[in-house]
Amino acid sequence: MIAPRWRKVLRDIAEAPGRATLSVVAMAAGVFGIAMILTSYAIMTRELARSYAETRPASATLHVHDLNDELLASVRRFPGVLDAESRPVIFARMRVGEDEWVPLVLYVVPDFNDLRMDRFTRSSGAWPPGDGEILVEQSSLPVARAAAGDSVTMRTPGGIERSLRISGIVHAPGLAPGWMEHSVTGYAGLRSIARADAQAETSRLSVIVAGNQLDETHIREVVGRLKNSLESQGHKVAFVDVPPPGRHPHADQMDTFLFLLGAFGALTLVLSAVLVANMIHALLTEQIRQVGIMKAIGATTNQIAALYLGQVSILATAALCIGMPLGYAAGRGYARFAAGILNTTIVNAAEPLWAIAIQIAVGLGLPLFMSLGPVAAVSRITIREALNNDAGHRPFGSRAFDRWLARIAWVPRPLMLSLRTTLQRRGRLLLTIGTLAAGGAVFISALNVAAAWTRVIDQDYRSRPYDVDVRFAEPYQVARIANIVAGVPDIARAEYWPEVNADIVGASGAADIRGRLVGPEASTPLLRLRMLEGRWLASGDEDVVVINQNVQASVPWLHAGGPIGLRIGGKELTWRVAGIAKELGHGAGQMYAPPRSILRAAGQTGDATRTVRVVTRQHDIASQTATARAIERALQRDGIKASLIQSLADRRKSFEDHLVIIKSALVFAATLVVIVGCLGLTITLTINVIERTREIGILSAIGATPRTISRYVVFEGVLMGFLSWWLAIIGAIPSTYVMNDMAGRMFTKSSLGFLMSPLAIVIWLVLVVALASLSSFVPARRSSRMAAREALAYE
Amino acid sequence: MITLSGVVKSFDTPAGIFPALRGIDLEIDKGELVAVVGKSGSGKSTLLNMIAGIDRPSAGSVSVSGTAIQGLTHNQLAAWRGRNVGIVFQFFQLLPALTVIENVMLPMDFCGAIPARERRKRALDLLGRVDIAAHAAKLPSELSGGQQQRAAIARALANDPPVVLADEPTGNLDSATSADIFQLFAELGDDGKTVVVVTHERDAGSVVDRVITLIDGSVAP
Repeated sequence: MIAPRWRKVLRDIAEAPGRATLSVVAMAAGVFGIAMILTSYAIMTRELARSYAETRPASATLHVHDLNDELLASVRRFPGVLDAESRPVIFARMRVGEDEWVPLVLYVVPDFNDLRMDRFTRSSGAWPPGDGEILVEQSSLPVARAAAGDSVTMRTPGGIERSLRISGIVHAPGLAPGWMEHSVTGYAGLRSIARADAQAETSRLSVIVAGNQLDETHIREVVGRLKNSLESQGHKVAFVDVPPPGRHPHADQMDTFLFLLGAFGALTLVLSAVLVANMIHALLTEQIRQVGIMKAIGATTNQIAALYLGQVSILATAALCIGMPLGYAAGRGYARFAAGILNTTIVNAAEPLWAIAIQIAVGLGLPLFMSLGPVAAVSRITIREALNNDAGHRPFGSRAFDRWLARIAWVPRPLMLSLRTTLQRRGRLLLTIGTLAAGGAVFISALNVAAAWTRVIDQDYRSRPYDVDVRFAEPYQVARIANIVAGVPDIARAEYWPEVNADIVGASGAADIRGRLVGPEASTPLLRLRMLEGRWLASGDEDVVVINQNVQASVPWLHAGGPIGLRIGGKELTWRVAGIAKELGHGAGQMYAPPRSILRAAGQTGDATRTVRVVTRQHDIASQTATARAIERALQRDGIKASLIQSLADRRKSFEDHLVIIKSALVFAATLVVIVGCLGLTITLTINVIERTREIGILSAIGATPRTISRYVVFEGVLMGFLSWWLAIIGAIPSTYVMNDMAGRMFTKSSLGFLMSPLAIVIWLVLVVALASLSSFVPARRSSRMAAREALAYE
Repeated sequence: MITLSGVVKSFDTPAGIFPALRGIDLEIDKGELVAVVGKSGSGKSTLLNMIAGIDRPSAGSVSVSGTAIQGLTHNQLAAWRGRNVGIVFQFFQLLPALTVIENVMLPMDFCGAIPARERRKRALDLLGRVDIAAHAAKLPSELSGGQQQRAAIARALANDPPVVLADEPTGNLDSATSADIFQLFAELGDDGKTVVVVTHERDAGSVVDRVITLIDGSVAP
């Protein structure tokens, strides 16, 4: 038999189903938010790692000359090497429209039935491809604008064209998604007709080390020995690439995305905690008289506390049962969406036990923890205070502020009544405003981070005010190129810069980063990068480079004024770092140096160029696209070997596509907050009005019309919404600062910089005021229509 | 049985210090039925609160059944009250979510003085004694004011306390019902319980053993 006190708990819940439902829904909203974020975080983290590990990524790649089967066999036997594979790569372009070409990266696979590393799987079509066929990675299809069975044209930098049939579609989760990179990735066989241009092909030897494959030092040690061994056998190793072990090419992007997901999860937890505190406070406030009675008939403080903690536990369990499955379903859906964007597949959508445990701990523990204070306060209340119903708040007029407020005569009396009522129950007011402010801070922060990304992209593209970037497979005389460009209409200006491949040589003597040196004039108006350290190029500079923050992140010992080891055309040089610039869209390896220094180091003449920056007259997307196509035609006509012709709009789109997943996390967080916050706000304001039913009855009894009462209540809601708005702005400052800094450093190796988006602030103001009005209006109207007798008798 | 010595109680209000009791000396014997009367604000309810341990005196001492209750902690006081004092309120103060019998069993549940298996039977006996056993399974809202007050008296007797305190128990009832309630208190006095009733009823004097009149916080001579 259940003891009477526990029956009271159950009946209290059952007898006020509306209030119990509101409380459960408010807590469930918090649980939903946390469950959704935790679920997607847990599934994504596990599945991304699994998916990448299953591709068996290479520990290192060596660019080896004269690679043959015998050498490959000896490498496989080399101490410390677990496996090796030769997979040459062809860098070419694919035609996707009239005079429209996109980069094409074709991996040459020796045996499609024995993929030893960097594995991919067949999605559809024929496997393996025939000699005139290729397989295309599924994420590249939107860029290729083609499907299985279609024939496409490939052009090598040497100008050789081949018609290839797409025999099938494959999935390579270890590669960066093609639609983000704005390039097409494919696979061809050893005897493929695509291998038409030796200059376009790079010989690559990929190895997986034995032992700890996640230890970069160990990998470098094994690869260093292998390099020495190969070179001692007369095989030149041009370059050694050791990618961060176990990290997907888009790991930075994923880290940023997961960080934002985690950060917003934590903020949702704060919001949920304040919401729960509000609920508990409301629940307990209406129980004070009963606490007094129970104490009068012998209940101890501990017994009272146990009763209410029990009640909270029951409500929290109900909330958990509702919020957890819904959060799981939504989180799983979001994980699948995010996995699709990152070109991976969710094989196992089961939630790990730790995530379930956290949800249960938070779902039950948080309400109980947040209840401890209010329950302790209510349990300790004296019988006299409880029965007089004056516990917890001093009468209006007992504080100096109240007396100051009371002296203000110019405010209309109804407005003043609303003001004083709002300010009378300060604990309640603080909790309501706190709930709103926490939600607002998260919402504003999410929009701030999104706005900061947009600002960073805008800044970067303003720093390079040209429209089309043209690169050549080999150097050409400036006069020849300028002559061709002069024949293309709508071009306002063009600059011809030298460019050369230059690897950054590390302390070990091995090349760490494959880079390229671009040589703009120091005074060029077409490149005005923001300097993070040191200075930009100056006229008269010799043998200096400006690197970007990505280069510095990969080679941390580089600093402005310090030396930098470069390998250009087989020669090792030591230059000086003039400065470190901030730029987007370039991975590690982009560097700028004086044109003379580049030409001298590359052994080229003084008027050679490998890249042209073109400014169009219209300076818009349409003229960028038209000009790029016209340049393509003109270069083709004159037999110039172009390796890339890209409009700035296309480049910007490519970078923005990398942010889709990150922005989706921000939109996800903001939407979640709007749902959880609005629900919480509605419930909080509804309970506020319910608690004041008796007061509304008094107003009604002394002649206030339902319309007047509704107006008071709505005004109070709006007032609280407005007060919370200020707090939300203040709360958003630290969270925005931290998230902008962390997200920027993770993805672009540089802080996004602090930004409070005025739009975000205004949107939240409109949202919170509109919601506060709407949330107050319905309960206010209901209360104001209640007969005075009913309202006064309300318990 | 009940001894108050020099009890002073003052309240701090926004309007200043308000002295509710000004040095009360009082003795009430075991089995005595006492009515405390006086105008509104004379200190009647405050005096009752002192005896029940609901409030603590600003000065002086209160002893009930030999226990100096002002020395007890909050929790000790609650446990002591559950076993030694039954309280009846003007507005009945039954818990609306519990049935009548559950309301009577609740103090037994809190105090644990009555074995669990005996509680229902005892509660029914008590309800029978106040003539509402037939309403045991009803909720308080289904009962008349008089019936609710009878249920409240039954609840006050749940743990068989030696002292019963009632604060204007008939203030919300008609005269016939009020007379019945006072008759119940008289029977309690006959059973050896000490009963102190704060009341406005003018004819209470005919039922009670003694009437104590309070004027502005002091016992009238």
